[in-house]
Amino acid sequence: MKKSLSLILSLILLLSLVSLPALAEEEIKLQVWYAVSGTSGETFTELANRWDAANDGVSLELSYSGNSGDTATKVSAALLSGTEPDVALMYAGPLYTGARGDLRMDEWYQAGDFDAEDVYEGMWEYCKFAGKVGAVPFGISTQVLYYNKDIMEAAGIDMSTPPATWEELYEVAKQAVEKGNINNVPDFAGFEVSDPVWLIKSMFMQNGNPVVEVHDGEVVPVFNNEKAVEVANFWKKMVDDKLMPAGEHNNAEKKFLAGNSAFIAASSNRISRWTTTEFGLGAIEMPTFGEKSVALGGNVLVVLTQDERRAAAAKELVAYLASAENQAEFALKTGYLPTHKSALEMDSIKEAISQNPMYNVAFSQLAYAWAYTHFDEMGTMDMLLWTAVNQIEKGAKTPQAALDYAVEELIMEMED
Amino acid sequence: MTSVRKSQLNRRPWLSTILLYLGVAMMLFPFVWMILSSFKTKADVYAYPPRWIPSTWSWDNYQKVFDTIPFLRYYWNSIFTSVVQTFLQVALSITAGYALTRIEFPGSGLYRRLMQSSMFVPAVVTMIPLYLTVASLRLIDTYAGIILPQIETAFLTMLLMSFFASIPDDLVDSANIDGCGYYRVLTNVIVPNSSGAIATATLFAFLGNWKSYTWPLIITNNTYYRTLPIGMKYLVQESSSEYQVMMAASVMAILPILITFMFTEKQLVRSVTLTGMK
Repeated sequence: MKKSLSLILSLILLLSLVSLPALAEEEIKLQVWYAVSGTSGETFTELANRWDAANDGVSLELSYSGNSGDTATKVSAALLSGTEPDVALMYAGPLYTGARGDLRMDEWYQAGDFDAEDVYEGMWEYCKFAGKVGAVPFGISTQVLYYNKDIMEAAGIDMSTPPATWEELYEVAKQAVEKGNINNVPDFAGFEVSDPVWLIKSMFMQNGNPVVEVHDGEVVPVFNNEKAVEVANFWKKMVDDKLMPAGEHNNAEKKFLAGNSAFIAASSNRISRWTTTEFGLGAIEMPTFGEKSVALGGNVLVVLTQDERRAAAAKELVAYLASAENQAEFALKTGYLPTHKSALEMDSIKEAISQNPMYNVAFSQLAYAWAYTHFDEMGTMDMLLWTAVNQIEKGAKTPQAALDYAVEELIMEMED
Repeated sequence: MTSVRKSQLNRRPWLSTILLYLGVAMMLFPFVWMILSSFKTKADVYAYPPRWIPSTWSWDNYQKVFDTIPFLRYYWNSIFTSVVQTFLQVALSITAGYALTRIEFPGSGLYRRLMQSSMFVPAVVTMIPLYLTVASLRLIDTYAGIILPQIETAFLTMLLMSFFASIPDDLVDSANIDGCGYYRVLTNVIVPNSSGAIATATLFAFLGNWKSYTWPLIITNNTYYRTLPIGMKYLVQESSSEYQVMMAASVMAILPILITFMFTEKQLVRSVTLTGMK
């Protein structure tokens, strides 16, 4: 009897030991796609791996998903087939959450999961679709105006009082062209811009044109009104007066780094990357037409998985990455901007500013950085604006005609 | 070429030599620049006027390629997928080309026209439907997912069809008389007489597969299966790219292409020559 009882008890004990791992919760493996490469990619994976190491029960599978366009294609295809990643760091994130009726990120934002109050308001605007938050800002930047100190010196330009308006910049760039061509190149430029669409949108806003407006929930493009045409006319003047070359923006950064442009409008993340130029590099805040304004750009974090358990873990990961300390670390290593106001009080940020005053320029612009609402056809809008800028620069259309055409085409696309 | 022009060239052989050397220099220049740049520093790359010779010769850029991306893994994946894909593409194109030129079957004309029409459809249009199909077959993050959807190519089939059609009917008829069926006609008559065309098709196919970027990027999430073009794209930063590192990666990346060309060059030249003579 005793032997039978012992045997039964041993069997029960053995069975319970075997079933324990089965009963224990399965480890969650989160797929994380990121659309940043080089230093940005390395820093992002470093932060993510740190979270991975500190969280038992969850592991991360990190995957570089290509540039912005490639990532958009990949995520679109993945969402259609149900193979989407759990988390993505990508451009236009709200188009893959809020635009598809997924309002969880807004719910978490309202519940205070992402330090909402501490993040710059303009950055939350950048993450909205139809007024609802659809992403968390992470790799955000604005354009900054860089200049070649050697060219300024040669041209006798004093940058201690930098140009504050576009008219003032026009005069300074003209002087640089006349007296600052230190390499004696035939294609010296007074002013260049690597992303003309980004810049012209900032200039529209500075002149009181918000690019798009929302009327009764409908997005309406307005970048062909009088204020926008004024900006476009000035743009054309820069090209006609040989201060800015026509249609060579893809080459703008290489030309500037070779010392053949006086000014360039480029992303603030160049501050941490252009550290070995062969000339003295400086930066100033973007000039303005009237109101100070710079358009935001960059990557945001989104949670795409629909599984509740995975989504909870993904939310924790996003909150970790986007926290003030970690996001500031990412910003300093990559040149993107800190998204939290409290980051400016951190010792690391203060030290970065003291070591490189150009950071101060980028951070100062955060106070008036803005974003228009996300809408499905914003990629098309950028493409049409690029075409319009080309047409204006090359004289193929007048500024009014070019902008009218772009707006008409965009409206047709939106109505389809 | 007229006899007058021919005699002019014969009288001035140095002119044609100079022109040829100029052409060679123009073709070789990008490769020479790429090799020299792979040894340069970042400052050398952006220097103006352009610095031809590196200020210091160093293998650092090559080392940086291996430090930044799992280069050997990507290299192996590219070699494997390109070779297998090329083999399957050429094999399918040979059999399809033979069938369409030598065998009358119901609907062959319609099939030929459909195949030709498919060449006008941009790849991006079919990418998402293809992805959905591959995803439903659970081939995401697999070599099969990279290779299989791309093995049919209308271009190669049509290239081979034009050569197969030029093989004299008498040869095929003789083979038939000797008792050869479709398979033996293909292997004993068609393929041996089209070696140049097949070599050309192989080279085109391998080139296209080696540099394929978008499809492998979309179909793979795991680094284990990624190919070299994806790895090299990772070396591109959003600004001031490390061109010198990219050049080092590019030098290593073109080696298989050069080797393939070396093996197929004779056949390629012969096929071009024969085409000209015809």
